[in-house]
Amino acid sequence: MHDFHPPISDAGLYWVVPVPAGALQWSDGGRSATIEMQDVAVIDQPKWPARKAQATPARMSFKMVFEATHQAVTYDDKTRLFRVTGFLATCRMEARVSVPSIGFTWRSDPIDKCPSAAFAVIGNEVNGKYYQEEAAR
Amino acid sequence: MQGFNAWPQAAARTRPVGHIDPDGPSGPYPIPWLDTNGSHNQPAGPDLEPSHIYHFKGRVARCSGFAGVGTDGENERLLFGTKTTDYGIMDGEYWAARAPQTGAFTHI
Repeated sequence: MHDFHPPISDAGLYWVVPVPAGALQWSDGGRSATIEMQDVAVIDQPKWPARKAQATPARMSFKMVFEATHQAVTYDDKTRLFRVTGFLATCRMEARVSVPSIGFTWRSDPIDKCPSAAFAVIGNEVNGKYYQEEAAR
Repeated sequence: MQGFNAWPQAAARTRPVGHIDPDGPSGPYPIPWLDTNGSHNQPAGPDLEPSHIYHFKGRVARCSGFAGVGTDGENERLLFGTKTTDYGIMDGEYWAARAPQTGAFTHI
């Protein structure tokens, strides 16, 4: 059993890493996105979410493709200050991981052989102060 | 009895103080109310916001629920994914260090 993800950042961002220039492409007016990253530094944390679960340095490479369907969605929450406008989507991915210290490697089937995610959405979001600024206009 | 400067002294003993940006760090930070289980994580799904970053506006993509198969280094077929296996993209402007910042980020 393995669980690969980046560490939580000092600010508390959960498993979020910057995307290097050129690794993310939007197309079709924002209705499609392709992200491809190589050798991202992650940790293998099989016992997550147990606190202080052992974490072993690992590497992850992946490609993910989002494509909008024709089903538009709007999520607007005035209490939690966010609005999403977009489309339900399909998302397929392929990935490979390695844990050098234990000699483990794994590679998924190619992206065209992997089932789409059960849920996906693509679009635009505003939250926090940007939500409030739009509401004040 | 502790004086008013007891905390800074304690901090100085345990960690050297490097550069401190007077306007705060320019990196993104999480959505404050996303802390019901002691973390700033949230699932992907209908009526849930895709962004993990607060004070954000821009393009997003979010997904969850993968069920795939792959092959390890010993040629064993191993399943991957659960209903909560989730990923996301946030690409746009966020507010930090009292100024707008831009960047692209992924939740993996």
